[in-house]
Amino acid sequence: MPELILEKPLAELLPVPSGALVEKQLKTEEMVLNMGPQHPSTHGVLRVELLTDGEVVSKATPYLGYLHRCFEKHAEALDYPMIIPYTDRMDYIASMNNDLAFCLAVEKLMKLEVPRRTEFMRVIVVELNRIASHLVAIGTYGLDIGAFTPLLFTFRDREHILSLLEWLCGARMLYNYIWVGGTSHDFPPKFKERVGEFVRYFKPKADEIYRLLTNNEIFIQRTRGIGVLPADVAINYGCSGPMLRGSGVKWDLRRDDPYSVYPELEFDVVVPTADECVIGDCLARHIVRAKEIYESLKIIEQCLDKMPEVENFDPQAAVPKRVKPPKGDVYGRAENPRGELGFYIISEGNTKPFRVKARSSCFVNLSTLPELAKGQLISDVVAIIGSIDIVLGEIDR
Amino acid sequence: MQTKNPDIKKTKFTLLEKIYLPEILKGLWYTFKQMFAPNFTFRYPDVRWNPIAAFRGRPVLVERDDKAGERCVACGLCARVCPPMAISMQAVETELEQERHPLTFEINMLRCIYCGYCEEVCPEEAIVMSKEYDITYFSRESAIMDKQKLLVPAESVKDRLDFLRKFKNDIRKESDQVANVQP
Ligand code: SF4
Ligand code: SF4
Repeated sequence: MPELILEKPLAELLPVPSGALVEKQLKTEEMVLNMGPQHPSTHGVLRVELLTDGEVVSKATPYLGYLHRCFEKHAEALDYPMIIPYTDRMDYIASMNNDLAFCLAVEKLMKLEVPRRTEFMRVIVVELNRIASHLVAIGTYGLDIGAFTPLLFTFRDREHILSLLEWLCGARMLYNYIWVGGTSHDFPPKFKERVGEFVRYFKPKADEIYRLLTNNEIFIQRTRGIGVLPADVAINYGCSGPMLRGSGVKWDLRRDDPYSVYPELEFDVVVPTADECVIGDCLARHIVRAKEIYESLKIIEQCLDKMPEVENFDPQAAVPKRVKPPKGDVYGRAENPRGELGFYIISEGNTKPFRVKARSSCFVNLSTLPELAKGQLISDVVAIIGSIDIVLGEIDR
Repeated sequence: MQTKNPDIKKTKFTLLEKIYLPEILKGLWYTFKQMFAPNFTFRYPDVRWNPIAAFRGRPVLVERDDKAGERCVACGLCARVCPPMAISMQAVETELEQERHPLTFEINMLRCIYCGYCEEVCPEEAIVMSKEYDITYFSRESAIMDKQKLLVPAESVKDRLDFLRKFKNDIRKESDQVANVQP
């Protein structure tokens, strides 16, 4: 190998974002490197084909489909209520949110009124699940970058949420709780108090978790300025959720296309500020997630206050005996922890949908990977994938 | 490898934090404290986890109270509603007052997704979700559970039956009555 004569020290040459300078000065033979599908930092079974020039990635192509389970085709053969357990399995970290998105779509199509108490119950469980999901995202992101401790902290607190939800509906991850027109169970006695207790317990812990990574110098060095996604690019790709908000766009379906009881609740849409990170980089996305936990806590507190008490409440009272929407089509969407999850349903007036198309947030967010990874170091690709916070179950469906 | 971003404010450190040693001690003290904090894990499988009544484990068939077979009347609702089509049965007539019962009743546990719909629709409380959660098999054939494997006495799922009565079926009946009274 010919000896390289550099004009400047290597450290100053490498972080050039486009990689153009690097290419010119130290071009080596390009090598194809397969990252995944068993790579621990690809969060499941994602394969990324990296075209590397030394340490620098010149092209990254994600390959999907290892977890494809034919959700959309299955849905055509199933009754509407029977699809709900399958939507659970799309984004298995935040199943409640998936159920809600699907049920909102079907309810919109059937013009179904949901009892007010049910709406609050739904928002509470959805926000609890959002916190759990963000905790996983933060913990595993630390793990990707080399910090093991946050994972233990976040999983400890996620455990509390999972046991709450388990008490509620009997499952720890795949709840099948939110049904078309209602929920499967009412809140058990004392559940509200326990949720309130959890919120009080969790607030100081959330501070702890926030400080643990966001103030960590090594973490900041690994994420600040890496994988910068400008706002216009993010919008053009159709990103949503923390990915879009990390780029500084104030867009949250809970505020901008409100559903359920969100219009009555007060919360902020979190966007990063320029003095803590570069807008749109990995750190910004991480900060958005960490701060959204506080917003969710706020929402839960308000819901607990506002939730009406009903004697002998039957959560399934509004559940139709046969879910049979009229002919037509509908697009229902909800804000998932990872972005906009939408279901486009075409109904022929039967108990089974003619076609269900899921617009999954992770899939769209992941499509920015080639853009983000170009010109970055291989180790930074790990940081970038982690910051997108993908769940392969939702990407492949 | 550091990217330079001049416009980012650095975290301000106090002198005490800059000396660094107190911070290290603080970290060590924190770790030390954790040694005496209560555990939030346990040593499975030495210590068994006992799920609550709401838990949805393996679906089982409930035996009749007089032990003369299963409560199931082979109506087929559960097979109809099961999303992955895990249940299959064959109905025959019987001498008992329930008149029909399943000759064969199989749940393919490789297919079952523990959704709980079968329990939800069953009119006889004949199929309920038990607390069993560590279900393993050595072959695909043994994962298809027949009636013998599914049948359990009602006492062993008492928790769940009580739970269903208290939180689901009784409330449902009451609200049905209310609905019937009001025209
Ligand atoms: S729990 Fe669900 S998947 Fe399993 S047998 Fe019952 S209905 Fe079928
Ligand atoms: S729904 Fe109940 S009674 Fe009917 S076939 Fe299934 S287990 Fe038997």
